[in-house]
Amino acid sequence: MRDAPPNGSARLTGRDDTLEMLQLLVVNMADYAITMLDTEGHVLTWTPAAERLKGYRTDEIIGKHYSIFFTDEDVAARKPVTELEASARDGRFEDEGWRVRKDGTRFWANEVNTALRAPDGTLRGFGRVTRDLTDRMRTEEQIRKQSQEILEMATVPVVQVWDGILLVPLIGMLDSERTQQLMERLLVRLTETGSRVALLDITGVPAIDSLTAQHLVETIKAVRFVGSEVVLTGVRPSIAQTLVHLGIDLAGVVTRSSLTAGLRVALDRLSLTVVASARGAQADHQ
Amino acid sequence: MINESISVIKVRDVLMVAMPGDPDDATVAALQEKTLLAMEQHEVRGLILDLSKVDTLDSYFARTVTETAAMVTLMGGDTIIAGMRPAVAITATQLGLDLGVTRTALSVDVALEMACFQPGQVGP
Repeated sequence: MRDAPPNGSARLTGRDDTLEMLQLLVVNMADYAITMLDTEGHVLTWTPAAERLKGYRTDEIIGKHYSIFFTDEDVAARKPVTELEASARDGRFEDEGWRVRKDGTRFWANEVNTALRAPDGTLRGFGRVTRDLTDRMRTEEQIRKQSQEILEMATVPVVQVWDGILLVPLIGMLDSERTQQLMERLLVRLTETGSRVALLDITGVPAIDSLTAQHLVETIKAVRFVGSEVVLTGVRPSIAQTLVHLGIDLAGVVTRSSLTAGLRVALDRLSLTVVASARGAQADHQ
Repeated sequence: MINESISVIKVRDVLMVAMPGDPDDATVAALQEKTLLAMEQHEVRGLILDLSKVDTLDSYFARTVTETAAMVTLMGGDTIIAGMRPAVAITATQLGLDLGVTRTALSVDVALEMACFQPGQVGP
Protein backbone atom coordinates (compact mmCIF):
# COMPACT_ATOMS: atom_id res chain seq x y z
CA MET A 1 0.00 0.00 0.00
CA ARG A 2 1.27 3.42 -0.80
CA ASP A 3 1.23 6.23 1.67
CA ALA A 4 -1.97 8.19 1.79
CA PRO A 5 -1.55 11.23 -0.46
CA PRO A 6 -0.95 14.35 1.60
CA ASN A 7 -3.93 16.13 0.18
CA GLY A 8 -6.16 13.18 1.12
CA SER A 9 -5.99 13.67 4.83
CA ALA A 10 -4.88 17.29 5.09
CA ARG A 11 -7.67 19.83 5.46
CA LEU A 12 -7.48 23.54 5.14
CA THR A 13 -7.97 25.11 8.49
CA GLY A 14 -8.96 28.65 9.13
CA ARG A 15 -11.91 30.93 9.26
CA ASP A 16 -14.27 31.22 6.32
CA ASP A 17 -12.90 34.63 5.36
CA THR A 18 -9.34 33.30 5.16
CA LEU A 19 -10.54 30.48 2.90
CA GLU A 20 -12.07 33.12 0.72
CA MET A 21 -8.73 34.92 0.71
CA LEU A 22 -7.09 31.70 -0.40
CA GLN A 23 -9.49 31.55 -3.32
CA LEU A 24 -8.65 35.15 -4.16
CA LEU A 25 -4.97 34.22 -4.09
CA VAL A 26 -5.48 31.40 -6.61
CA VAL A 27 -7.54 33.58 -8.91
CA ASN A 28 -5.27 36.60 -8.73
CA MET A 29 -1.92 34.89 -8.84
CA ALA A 30 -0.40 36.63 -11.82
CA ASP A 31 2.65 34.50 -12.57
CA TYR A 32 1.09 31.10 -12.11
CA ALA A 33 -1.86 29.78 -14.11
CA ILE A 34 -3.64 27.53 -11.62
CA THR A 35 -6.36 25.31 -13.02
CA MET A 36 -8.23 22.22 -11.91
CA LEU A 37 -8.93 19.23 -14.08
CA ASP A 38 -11.42 16.41 -13.52
CA THR A 39 -10.18 12.81 -13.29
CA GLU A 40 -10.19 12.49 -17.07
CA GLY A 41 -8.43 15.77 -17.75
CA HIS A 42 -11.29 18.15 -18.56
CA VAL A 43 -10.81 21.74 -17.43
CA LEU A 44 -12.91 22.59 -14.35
CA THR A 45 -11.61 26.02 -13.32
CA TRP A 46 -9.91 28.92 -15.08
CA THR A 47 -8.20 32.07 -13.87
CA PRO A 48 -7.26 35.42 -15.42
CA ALA A 49 -3.62 34.36 -15.36
CA ALA A 50 -4.49 31.20 -17.30
CA GLU A 51 -6.41 33.30 -19.80
CA ARG A 52 -3.47 35.68 -20.20
CA LEU A 53 -1.03 32.82 -20.69
CA LYS A 54 -3.04 30.50 -22.92
CA GLY A 55 -5.46 32.88 -24.60
CA TYR A 56 -8.74 31.08 -23.88
CA ARG A 57 -11.68 32.81 -22.16
CA THR A 58 -13.34 31.01 -19.28
CA ASP A 59 -16.51 30.17 -21.25
CA GLU A 60 -14.44 28.74 -24.11
CA ILE A 61 -12.30 26.40 -22.10
CA ILE A 62 -14.39 25.00 -19.25
CA GLY A 63 -15.21 21.38 -20.02
CA LYS A 64 -12.59 21.07 -22.80
CA HIS A 65 -9.97 18.36 -22.49
CA TYR A 66 -6.60 19.73 -21.38
CA SER A 67 -4.77 18.02 -24.27
CA ILE A 68 -5.72 21.18 -26.22
CA PHE A 69 -2.69 22.85 -24.53
CA PHE A 70 -0.26 20.29 -25.92
CA THR A 71 1.58 20.25 -29.24
CA ASP A 72 0.43 17.78 -31.91
CA GLU A 73 3.62 15.78 -31.41
CA ASP A 74 3.02 15.49 -27.67
CA VAL A 75 -0.59 14.46 -28.22
CA ALA A 76 0.56 11.84 -30.74
CA ALA A 77 3.01 10.60 -28.11
CA ARG A 78 0.03 10.28 -25.66
CA LYS A 79 1.72 12.72 -23.28
CA PRO A 80 -1.54 14.19 -21.86
CA VAL A 81 -2.68 10.68 -20.93
CA THR A 82 0.59 9.53 -19.41
CA GLU A 83 0.93 12.76 -17.38
CA LEU A 84 -2.40 12.15 -15.67
CA GLU A 85 -1.52 8.49 -15.10
CA ALA A 86 1.81 9.47 -13.57
CA SER A 87 0.16 12.12 -11.37
CA ALA A 88 -2.47 9.64 -10.15
CA ARG A 89 0.18 7.02 -9.45
CA ASP A 90 2.84 9.20 -7.80
CA GLY A 91 0.67 12.02 -6.52
CA ARG A 92 2.65 14.57 -8.51
CA PHE A 93 4.15 15.06 -11.96
CA GLU A 94 6.39 17.85 -13.13
CA ASP A 95 7.36 18.60 -16.70
CA GLU A 96 8.93 21.29 -18.82
CA GLY A 97 8.25 21.73 -22.51
CA TRP A 98 6.55 23.59 -25.33
CA ARG A 99 2.80 24.19 -24.92
CA VAL A 100 0.38 25.77 -27.38
CA ARG A 101 -1.70 28.94 -26.95
CA LYS A 102 -5.14 29.44 -28.47
CA ASP A 103 -3.62 31.34 -31.41
CA GLY A 104 -1.26 28.45 -32.13
CA THR A 105 1.92 30.13 -30.84
CA ARG A 106 4.09 28.17 -28.44
CA PHE A 107 5.45 28.98 -25.03
CA TRP A 108 7.93 27.15 -22.83
CA ALA A 109 6.12 25.96 -19.74
CA ASN A 110 6.98 24.46 -16.41
CA GLU A 111 3.99 22.49 -15.21
CA VAL A 112 3.24 20.69 -11.98
CA ASN A 113 0.30 18.34 -11.90
CA THR A 114 -0.97 17.28 -8.48
CA ALA A 115 -3.51 14.53 -7.86
CA LEU A 116 -6.38 15.73 -5.65
CA ARG A 117 -7.81 12.96 -3.50
CA ALA A 118 -10.72 12.85 -1.10
CA PRO A 119 -10.02 11.81 2.52
CA ASP A 120 -10.97 8.22 1.61
CA GLY A 121 -8.38 8.21 -1.18
CA THR A 122 -10.69 8.42 -4.19
CA LEU A 123 -9.31 10.57 -6.99
CA ARG A 124 -11.27 13.80 -7.32
CA GLY A 125 -9.24 15.42 -10.04
CA PHE A 126 -5.99 17.25 -10.60
CA GLY A 127 -4.56 20.62 -9.73
CA ARG A 128 -2.33 22.05 -12.43
CA VAL A 129 0.12 24.92 -12.01
CA THR A 130 1.64 26.35 -15.18
CA ARG A 131 4.46 28.85 -15.33
CA ASP A 132 5.62 30.61 -18.51
CA LEU A 133 9.39 30.20 -18.71
CA THR A 134 9.80 31.25 -22.34
CA ASP A 135 11.94 34.27 -21.44
CA ARG A 136 14.18 32.24 -19.18
CA MET A 137 14.52 29.60 -21.87
CA ARG A 138 15.46 32.22 -24.48
CA THR A 139 18.02 33.81 -22.17
CA GLU A 140 19.54 30.43 -21.37
CA GLU A 141 19.71 29.57 -25.05
CA GLN A 142 21.40 32.88 -25.82
CA ILE A 143 23.94 32.39 -23.06
CA ARG A 144 24.60 28.87 -24.28
CA LYS A 145 25.11 30.12 -27.83
CA GLN A 146 27.42 32.92 -26.72
CA SER A 147 29.56 30.67 -24.57
CA GLN A 148 29.74 28.20 -27.45
CA GLU A 149 31.01 30.98 -29.71
CA ILE A 150 33.53 32.15 -27.14
CA LEU A 151 34.70 28.59 -26.62
CA GLU A 152 35.04 28.06 -30.35
CA MET A 153 36.96 31.28 -30.76
CA ALA A 154 39.26 30.35 -27.88
CA THR A 155 39.72 26.82 -29.21
CA VAL A 156 40.58 27.78 -32.75
CA PRO A 157 41.26 31.49 -33.19
CA VAL A 158 41.73 32.47 -36.81
CA VAL A 159 42.89 36.06 -37.23
CA GLN A 160 43.53 37.99 -40.39
CA VAL A 161 46.81 39.84 -39.88
CA TRP A 162 47.22 41.19 -43.40
CA ASP A 163 45.42 41.04 -46.74
CA GLY A 164 46.07 37.45 -47.75
CA ILE A 165 47.60 36.31 -44.46
CA LEU A 166 45.74 34.48 -41.69
CA LEU A 167 47.23 33.73 -38.30
CA VAL A 168 46.21 30.80 -36.11
CA PRO A 169 47.85 31.11 -32.67
CA LEU A 170 47.34 27.68 -31.14
CA ILE A 171 47.50 27.43 -27.37
CA GLY A 172 47.31 24.24 -25.34
CA MET A 173 47.18 20.60 -26.31
CA LEU A 174 45.74 19.62 -29.65
CA ASP A 175 43.37 16.69 -29.62
CA SER A 176 41.58 15.14 -32.58
CA GLU A 177 38.36 17.07 -32.10
CA ARG A 178 40.13 20.39 -31.81
CA THR A 179 42.28 19.74 -34.86
CA GLN A 180 39.17 18.81 -36.83
CA GLN A 181 37.60 22.14 -35.81
CA LEU A 182 40.83 23.91 -36.69
CA MET A 183 40.91 22.35 -40.12
CA GLU A 184 37.30 23.24 -40.92
CA ARG A 185 37.47 26.81 -39.62
CA LEU A 186 40.82 27.55 -41.21
CA LEU A 187 39.79 26.21 -44.64
CA VAL A 188 36.55 28.15 -44.62
CA ARG A 189 38.27 31.38 -43.52
CA LEU A 190 41.04 30.92 -46.11
CA THR A 191 38.58 30.55 -48.97
CA GLU A 192 36.32 33.33 -47.63
CA THR A 193 39.14 35.83 -47.38
CA GLY A 194 41.06 34.52 -50.38
CA SER A 195 44.19 34.26 -48.23
CA ARG A 196 47.21 32.58 -49.72
CA VAL A 197 49.18 32.04 -46.53
CA ALA A 198 48.17 30.67 -43.15
CA LEU A 199 50.60 31.16 -40.28
CA LEU A 200 50.07 28.22 -37.95
CA ASP A 201 51.77 29.24 -34.74
CA ILE A 202 52.44 26.44 -32.24
CA THR A 203 54.43 28.53 -29.74
CA GLY A 204 51.70 27.89 -27.16
CA VAL A 205 51.49 24.16 -27.74
CA PRO A 206 53.34 22.55 -24.82
CA ALA A 207 54.10 19.20 -26.43
CA ILE A 208 53.39 17.24 -29.56
CA ASP A 209 52.73 13.52 -29.81
CA SER A 210 52.54 11.47 -32.99
CA LEU A 211 48.75 11.77 -33.23
CA THR A 212 48.86 15.57 -32.87
CA ALA A 213 51.63 15.76 -35.44
CA GLN A 214 49.58 13.60 -37.81
CA HIS A 215 46.62 15.96 -37.39
CA LEU A 216 48.84 18.94 -38.14
CA VAL A 217 50.18 17.27 -41.27
CA GLU A 218 46.60 16.58 -42.41
CA THR A 219 45.61 20.19 -41.82
CA ILE A 220 48.63 21.40 -43.77
CA LYS A 221 47.69 19.08 -46.67
CA ALA A 222 44.06 20.19 -46.69
CA VAL A 223 45.16 23.85 -46.74
CA ARG A 224 47.25 23.05 -49.78
CA PHE A 225 44.27 21.46 -51.51
CA VAL A 226 42.25 24.67 -51.36
CA GLY A 227 45.17 26.56 -52.85
CA SER A 228 46.88 28.14 -49.84
CA GLU A 229 50.06 27.44 -47.97
CA VAL A 230 50.79 26.85 -44.30
CA VAL A 231 53.84 28.35 -42.68
CA LEU A 232 54.38 26.53 -39.41
CA THR A 233 55.87 28.86 -36.82
CA GLY A 234 56.86 28.61 -33.18
CA VAL A 235 58.83 25.40 -33.70
CA ARG A 236 60.86 25.36 -30.47
CA PRO A 237 63.89 23.09 -30.00
CA SER A 238 61.91 20.49 -28.05
CA ILE A 239 59.19 20.42 -30.71
CA ALA A 240 61.79 20.13 -33.47
CA GLN A 241 63.39 17.20 -31.65
CA THR A 242 60.05 15.46 -31.21
CA LEU A 243 59.06 15.92 -34.84
CA VAL A 244 62.32 14.41 -36.06
CA HIS A 245 62.26 11.55 -33.55
CA LEU A 246 58.67 10.71 -34.47
CA GLY A 247 59.71 10.65 -38.13
CA ILE A 248 57.05 13.17 -39.13
CA ASP A 249 57.48 14.12 -42.75
CA LEU A 250 57.14 17.87 -43.07
CA ALA A 251 58.91 18.03 -46.41
CA GLY A 252 57.56 20.84 -48.50
CA VAL A 253 56.25 22.69 -45.46
CA VAL A 254 57.93 25.94 -44.56
CA THR A 255 58.68 25.94 -40.83
CA ARG A 256 60.21 28.68 -38.72
CA SER A 257 61.10 28.95 -35.08
CA SER A 258 59.61 32.40 -34.57
CA LEU A 259 56.40 34.01 -35.69
CA THR A 260 58.41 37.00 -36.92
CA ALA A 261 60.40 34.82 -39.31
CA GLY A 262 57.17 33.17 -40.42
CA LEU A 263 55.54 36.52 -41.11
CA ARG A 264 58.56 37.48 -43.20
CA VAL A 265 58.08 34.33 -45.28
CA ALA A 266 54.36 35.10 -45.68
CA LEU A 267 55.04 38.68 -46.83
CA ASP A 268 57.64 37.35 -49.24
CA ARG A 269 55.09 34.90 -50.71
CA LEU A 270 52.81 37.83 -51.43
CA SER A 271 55.75 39.78 -52.89
CA LEU A 272 55.42 42.39 -50.15
CA THR A 273 58.35 44.24 -48.62
CA VAL A 274 58.28 46.12 -45.36
CA VAL A 275 60.20 49.37 -45.65
CA ALA A 276 60.95 51.78 -42.84
CA SER A 277 59.56 55.21 -43.64
CA ALA A 278 62.05 58.05 -44.21
CA ARG A 279 61.00 59.69 -40.96
CA GLY A 280 61.61 56.47 -39.05
CA ALA A 281 65.06 56.09 -40.63
CA GLN A 282 65.98 59.66 -39.64
CA ALA A 283 64.90 59.04 -36.09
CA ASP A 284 67.17 55.99 -36.06
CA HIS A 285 70.16 58.13 -37.06
CA GLN A 286 69.69 60.72 -34.35
CA MET B 1 31.95 7.67 -77.03
CA ILE B 2 32.46 11.39 -76.66
CA ASN B 3 31.43 12.81 -73.33
CA GLU B 4 29.94 16.26 -73.77
CA SER B 5 29.71 17.19 -70.09
CA ILE B 6 33.27 18.40 -69.98
CA SER B 7 35.32 20.52 -72.33
CA VAL B 8 38.96 21.48 -72.44
CA ILE B 9 39.48 25.08 -73.47
CA LYS B 10 42.76 26.53 -74.64
CA VAL B 11 43.25 30.12 -73.51
CA ARG B 12 46.47 31.67 -74.82
CA ASP B 13 49.00 29.02 -73.83
CA VAL B 14 47.07 27.39 -71.02
CA LEU B 15 44.49 24.61 -71.03
CA MET B 16 41.45 25.05 -68.79
CA VAL B 17 39.00 22.47 -67.57
CA ALA B 18 36.05 23.21 -65.29
CA MET B 19 34.69 20.11 -63.57
CA PRO B 20 30.90 19.92 -63.10
CA GLY B 21 29.44 19.75 -59.59
CA ASP B 22 28.96 16.03 -59.21
CA PRO B 23 30.93 14.33 -62.00
CA ASP B 24 30.09 10.71 -62.83
CA ASP B 25 32.76 8.14 -63.70
CA ALA B 26 32.39 8.73 -67.45
CA THR B 27 32.99 12.46 -66.99
CA VAL B 28 36.03 11.78 -64.83
CA ALA B 29 37.40 9.42 -67.46
CA ALA B 30 36.74 12.03 -70.15
CA LEU B 31 38.71 14.59 -68.13
CA GLN B 32 41.90 12.58 -68.50
CA GLU B 33 41.41 11.63 -72.16
CA LYS B 34 40.45 15.08 -73.38
CA THR B 35 43.20 16.81 -71.38
CA LEU B 36 45.96 14.56 -72.69
CA LEU B 37 44.65 14.83 -76.24
CA ALA B 38 44.68 18.64 -75.95
CA MET B 39 48.19 18.56 -74.49
CA GLU B 40 49.31 16.69 -77.60
CA GLN B 41 47.50 18.98 -80.02
CA HIS B 42 48.53 22.35 -78.57
CA GLU B 43 51.76 23.90 -77.47
CA VAL B 44 50.81 24.92 -73.94
CA ARG B 45 52.51 25.59 -70.62
CA GLY B 46 50.09 23.49 -68.68
CA LEU B 47 46.65 22.87 -67.29
CA ILE B 48 44.37 24.68 -64.86
CA LEU B 49 41.80 22.32 -63.37
CA ASP B 50 38.91 24.27 -61.86
CA LEU B 51 37.24 22.33 -59.06
CA SER B 52 35.22 25.23 -57.62
CA LYS B 53 31.88 23.64 -58.60
CA VAL B 54 32.78 20.22 -57.25
CA ASP B 55 31.12 19.33 -53.96
CA THR B 56 31.75 15.59 -53.78
CA LEU B 57 34.98 13.71 -54.25
CA ASP B 58 35.34 9.94 -54.49
CA SER B 59 38.52 7.89 -54.63
CA TYR B 60 38.24 7.33 -58.38
CA PHE B 61 37.98 11.05 -59.08
CA ALA B 62 40.81 11.82 -56.66
CA ARG B 63 43.05 9.21 -58.27
CA THR B 64 42.25 10.45 -61.76
CA VAL B 65 43.17 14.00 -60.79
CA THR B 66 46.59 12.95 -59.42
CA GLU B 67 47.23 10.66 -62.37
CA THR B 68 46.28 13.26 -64.94
CA ALA B 69 48.53 15.82 -63.25
CA ALA B 70 51.43 13.34 -63.35
CA MET B 71 50.76 12.62 -67.03
CA VAL B 72 50.60 16.32 -67.89
CA THR B 73 53.98 16.74 -66.15
CA LEU B 74 55.39 13.90 -68.28
CA MET B 75 54.17 15.69 -71.38
CA GLY B 76 56.01 18.80 -70.30
CA GLY B 77 53.31 20.90 -68.65
CA ASP B 78 52.45 22.20 -65.19
CA THR B 79 49.14 21.47 -63.51
CA ILE B 80 47.39 23.82 -61.11
CA ILE B 81 44.31 22.69 -59.23
CA ALA B 82 42.12 25.70 -58.55
CA GLY B 83 39.23 26.51 -56.25
CA MET B 84 38.88 23.32 -54.23
CA ARG B 85 36.18 23.80 -51.58
CA PRO B 86 36.96 23.30 -47.86
CA ALA B 87 34.66 20.27 -47.52
CA VAL B 88 36.20 18.65 -50.58
CA ALA B 89 39.69 19.40 -49.25
CA ILE B 90 38.84 17.61 -46.00
CA THR B 91 37.53 14.60 -47.94
CA ALA B 92 40.67 14.65 -50.08
CA THR B 93 42.81 14.51 -46.93
CA GLN B 94 40.78 11.61 -45.59
CA LEU B 95 41.13 9.77 -48.91
CA GLY B 96 44.88 10.29 -48.65
CA LEU B 97 45.06 12.25 -51.90
CA ASP B 98 48.67 13.04 -52.68
CA LEU B 99 49.21 15.91 -55.07
CA GLY B 100 52.92 15.30 -55.52
CA VAL B 101 54.39 18.29 -57.33
CA THR B 102 50.99 19.57 -58.46
CA ARG B 103 50.34 23.13 -57.41
CA THR B 104 47.10 24.55 -56.10
CA ALA B 105 45.41 27.95 -56.23
CA LEU B 106 42.47 29.53 -54.43
CA SER B 107 40.80 30.33 -57.77
CA VAL B 108 41.38 30.25 -61.53
CA ASP B 109 42.14 33.95 -61.25
CA VAL B 110 44.97 33.31 -58.84
CA ALA B 111 46.18 30.34 -60.91
CA LEU B 112 46.57 32.54 -63.99
CA GLU B 113 48.77 34.93 -62.01
CA MET B 114 51.11 32.18 -60.94
CA ALA B 115 54.65 32.29 -62.21
CA CYS B 116 54.57 29.21 -64.43
CA PHE B 117 51.83 30.69 -66.59
CA GLN B 118 53.36 34.13 -66.94
CA PRO B 119 54.67 35.15 -70.35
CA GLY B 120 58.43 35.28 -70.49
CA GLN B 121 58.88 32.25 -68.27
CA VAL B 122 60.64 29.25 -69.75
CA GLY B 123 57.88 27.09 -71.20
CA PRO B 124 57.38 24.57 -73.95
